[in-house]
This record gives sequence, structure tokens and C-alpha cells, in this order.
Amino acid sequence: METEGNMEKADSTGKRTGIMRNLFRENYQGYLFIAPAAILISVFGIFPMFFTVFVSMHKWRMRRGQFLFLDNFVRIFGSYWYILLIILLGLIIYFGMKLWNAGKERKLRAPEIPGKSGSVQHFLGIIIFFSGLLGLFILIPNMYQSGDSNMMDSLRVTIWYSLGTVPIQLFVGLLVAVLLDQKFRGKQAFRVIFLLPYIVPSVASATIFERLFSLRSESFANQVLIAFGREPLQWLLEPSGIFSMMFGKGGSEGLGVIATYLQTWVQGPSLALVSIMFFNWWVFVGYYSLIFANGLAQISKDIYDAAEMDGAPKRTVFFKIIVPLLSPTTYFLSMLGIIGTFKAFNHIYVLRNPAARGAADPMSIHIFFTFFRKSRFGYAAAMALLLFIIVLGLTLLQRRIMEKRVFYGE
Amino acid sequence: MKHLKLYKVKQTGNRAFLYLVLIIGAIIAILPFLYMIANSLKTYSETVTRVSANPLSPRFWPKVPQWENFRIVIDEAKMGAYFINSTIISSVTVSGIFIISTFSAYAFSKMRFAGKDIIFSIMLATLMIPETVLLIPNFLTVSAFGWIDKLPALTIPFMGSAFFIFMLRQFFNQIPNAVIESAVIDGCSHLRILWFIAVPLTKAPIFTVAFLAFHGAWNALQWPLVVTQTDKWRPIAVGLTRFVTEAGPESQLRLAGAVIAILPILIIYMIAQRQITEAIARTGMKG
Repeated sequence: METEGNMEKADSTGKRTGIMRNLFRENYQGYLFIAPAAILISVFGIFPMFFTVFVSMHKWRMRRGQFLFLDNFVRIFGSYWYILLIILLGLIIYFGMKLWNAGKERKLRAPEIPGKSGSVQHFLGIIIFFSGLLGLFILIPNMYQSGDSNMMDSLRVTIWYSLGTVPIQLFVGLLVAVLLDQKFRGKQAFRVIFLLPYIVPSVASATIFERLFSLRSESFANQVLIAFGREPLQWLLEPSGIFSMMFGKGGSEGLGVIATYLQTWVQGPSLALVSIMFFNWWVFVGYYSLIFANGLAQISKDIYDAAEMDGAPKRTVFFKIIVPLLSPTTYFLSMLGIIGTFKAFNHIYVLRNPAARGAADPMSIHIFFTFFRKSRFGYAAAMALLLFIIVLGLTLLQRRIMEKRVFYGE
Repeated sequence: MKHLKLYKVKQTGNRAFLYLVLIIGAIIAILPFLYMIANSLKTYSETVTRVSANPLSPRFWPKVPQWENFRIVIDEAKMGAYFINSTIISSVTVSGIFIISTFSAYAFSKMRFAGKDIIFSIMLATLMIPETVLLIPNFLTVSAFGWIDKLPALTIPFMGSAFFIFMLRQFFNQIPNAVIESAVIDGCSHLRILWFIAVPLTKAPIFTVAFLAFHGAWNALQWPLVVTQTDKWRPIAVGLTRFVTEAGPESQLRLAGAVIAILPILIIYMIAQRQITEAIARTGMKG
């Protein structure tokens, strides 16, 4: 090989030049090795970020139209002022949070010294933080009224989807994991079966669930209802919120801006979305339990022995020892889960039904149809950027919260 | 006392409880698949009239298995052609990912060059970007290249994957540097070290990475929906969703399509189940 020849030459011309040449060769070989990946990632991963900003500032239907600057974003939020206000409120909330924390830390460090205890900081921080939240509480209903209410609806669907899946999966997953961590016969068989829903291509498994939760009376879900003497439901085709289905609808006439917006939340997630949540639970509970079980297996068994010797009850062992020691796993899974629900596409694309009138379409789907069906490239790019900012914000927020709570051991 | 004593599994009562819960869980995990198999073999009228939510009831299953359904799906619904497309697309993608990622993962793990850490963290940062954000600009790029409805559009954009580079780098990091250094001193080039030392040493984890890459390519939907306009290179995921949203009420055919789409992944999973469950439980990785 060519490089070997170089090596021999380098040896014969003396040590120092050999090292220099080696360094040079390692450098350029290194670049050569990463070049294909670097080029591909630049073209399909980094350049698009800038390009999407460019697209979002244009009227763009198949081909580039007029330069609009921020008009696409104005259409989402309702007006330039609302964009400014929401950025401002975001900063206020962030600042309030920082002040609150700083005050709390100072309080912990010097609780006795008056004036230096940080109480004022603490108090101010809380006030700023909550006034920021109050501002959002007033601003968002107004944005809903004058901005793109379809987009805001899809964001609400996304948030419900996250809230309805991740906590439940964490909870049930942990319980199953405790069982999976035991020693018993046939453990590997159960692991294989529990991971099966996660492994199978989601397009195919969603095709099954689309049948299980169809509106027809012979569908699986309706058969179960009938077996319990209940009326069959519309499931994936039902746009009404589950809370309003359970407790009845309130009148929506003549309400103020804020009340009208609140009502969209009070209805709860649509039954169509809840049917999709069933799919999500089915896919992820087993996966979560496997990862939790792996986390449990890494906790030193001495800790349990010590706790038992001290006579700690099982519940205490669970909540005071196992849960804190598992917090890195919990953090990883909740992060993955929330980002996953914000990106979710495949199964929802299969499971959604036009009859549900968008009541089960999260942002990812809404953006996709704006781009793909309506060919509104510029506007879809603007919404996609908004989605990206939300995901980024959530990630940072979660990291900040967890930083303090997650116990990584000594 | 080796094991956790949250439940004392030695007591028969608790052991029965443990099995009871796990078996219920296993039934929930498997039931949809049984439903799929049973209904894919029914006649259309059976899917409407012969129904039950209980797999032990004979009404859950078809009277006579209709293997004909599969022939219809493969030939007339073109699921066979989509299957071949997907096989080609996934194999090309996995080979590309494997070659490109091993080279750069090795370089990031074992070679010294200026700016290594910065380049690596920039690559990792791209993992944060949701696919939806990349969709529109990448569609425009690929159209400009004239790749719409062609194989490169479905494979090349996936080949530069920061995720797999990261995974493989982790594996290469476990090879002691002394091994690499002594090989270099013996006059072995990095190219040969990579193929004859590093890759053979990490064979098992590389297999899992390849499985996950295959899984991702097989299941890809959003991007193929956008870049395929005819049946020529349409993968099975797209074929199946079109079948679901556009086919009439003949659910037995859709479910037969689902069986075909699941099979290859299921077979690989069953063969390598220990490796795959182990890898996923340990790293939680997702392709």
C-alpha cells in the first residue's frame, strides 16, 4: 500500500521529519476519512437549516415568489406586536426563573444575615416569573383569535399527546420493570415479547390499530365495549374532546376571548387522539420497561440489603431509593418521549382520519400537509421553524430542571 | 442475597402474581398481531360478520384460511414490487451508512487531526433538528439535483448519519489505543487497521447498528412520500399507507399487506433477539 511506502521513506530520512510527515499524513487522512460523512451532513443536515429560514421568508408555492420577510410568522401569531410580545414574555419568564433560583441559592448559603439572605431576590423572581406567565395567559388567547387558529389547534393536540403518553408510559414502564428485574424462568422470552411492538415497523402496526379502533361495530375496540354492554364509539373518527363527551358540553356563545380559548382546552384531547395514544402506550410501555429494568439491574444490591437491615418499608425503599437512583434513566426516557411525540409522524399519518377534522393532527402532521398537499412551502417552513424552536426550548428547559434533580451518583 | 427484594419471588404467591402480570402484558403485546394474522386470512364478509375480541373463540379466526388474499396483495396491489423496492433501498442505505459511518467514526475515535472535536460536536448538533424542519429544504435540494423518483433521493440523504457515527465511535473507543499504536508502529495503515482490526473487534455491536439502520430505512415514510411520484421506487411503507388511506373497506387485504411489511424485520429480530434486546435495553437506541 502507498501509505506503507511513505512510512519506510520517512524512517530512512530520519526521525524528526518522519514525525512531521506522520502528523501531516494523519491530518489529511483524518479529513479524508470523515469527508463523505461531513459532505453529506453539510448538504442534508446543516445547509437546510439556513435554507429553511430563507424559504420561510418568502411566498413559496413550488417555486420562489415574493420576499415577505416575517409575514409568514405574522400570519401564525396574528401581528408583529404579538411576535415581539411573546419573545419579551419568554425573556421575562426566563429572567424571573433565574432570579428565583439565585435568590433561593443565596438563601441556602446565608440564611441568617439580613439583607444578604436573598429573600428579596427570591420574592422578586417569583413575581416576575408569574407575571410573565400571566402575560402568556392573556396573550395566547388573543393570538388564537387573530393568528392561525388551525396551527394553534395542532400545537394543542401535540401538547395533549405528550401529556397523555409520556407520564403514563414512564409510570407503567417502571412498574413492569420492577417485575422484569426479578429472577425467574422465561425472562428473555418476556423481554422479546415486550419489545415486539417497538421493533415492528410502525407503519404496519399502525395499520393494525387503524382496524382495531375503527368506527364499525365489528372493530376490536367496539367489540370490547359491546361485551361490557356499552354503546360502540367512533374512535379514530371522533373529533369531540373526551372530557366534553364524559361531562357534556358547555355553551360557547358570547364568551370572551380568553374563555373561548380556555374552552378548547377544557374539552380535553379528542377521542381520535386518545385512540392514537392507545397505540403509543402499546408501542412504548414495553420499551420503557426494558430500559428501566436495565437501570434497576445496575443499582447495587447492597443498598437494598442496607435498607432492609434498617427496617425500611417497601414503599420507602421504592420512592426514596429506587426512584431517585433511577433518575438518569427517567430523564433520558422523558426527554426521548417528549421530543418523540413532537416529532411523531408515521403512525399518526396512518391512524388519522379526515373525518376527525384535524382533531388528531399534531403540528408535525399539520406542517406536512401544509407543505405536501397545499404546496405552501414558505408558510410550512415558518411553522417548521417554530416547531424547532419549541423542541429546542423544551430540551433546554428540561435540562435545566433535571440538572438539579437528577442524581448521577458520586 | 444477590437480588432485589422488593418482591420476594421465592414465595409462591408473589411468583404467581409476577407471572400473572407479565403474561397479561405479553397478551396485550401479542394480541394485535394475532388479530392481524386472523383477519388477513378471512374473506371480506367474514371480517364483517365473523368477529370477536377473544382469540380463544373460533369466531376470532377465519373458517378457511384465504391464502388467496396474499396473492391479491402481492400481485394486484403491487405489494410484491414495493417489497423489492424497499429491500433494495434499505440494503443500499445500510451499506452506505456502514461504510461512511465506520470511516468517520474511526477517524473521530482513533486519529488525530485539527478541529476534530469541533467538527464532531457540529455533527452531533444536527441530531437535534426534527425531520419536519429538514423536509422542505431537502426536497428543494433533491429536486434541483434531478433525483425525484430516483433511487439516490431515497438513499443518499440518509447515509450521512450523525447518530450512527456517534454509536460506532462509542464502540471504537473501547478498543485500547495501544492496539492501534502498535499496529501503526508496525507500519500498518489506518485503512488496514480499520478493516482488519477495528471492524472485526466490534462485529457484534456493528451488527446491531446495521439492524437499526435497516429498520429505519424500512420504516421511513415522510421522506419517501415526498420524493416518490410513481410506483417505480415506491417503498413498502408508502405502498401500505396508500393502501390504507385509499383502498376500500377490504380490511383483510390491508392486514395482509401489513403482514408482508412486518415479516423481514420480524425474522431478523427473532434470529438475533438476544443481541437486539440487549443492545436496546443498554443504550435505548433508536434508528
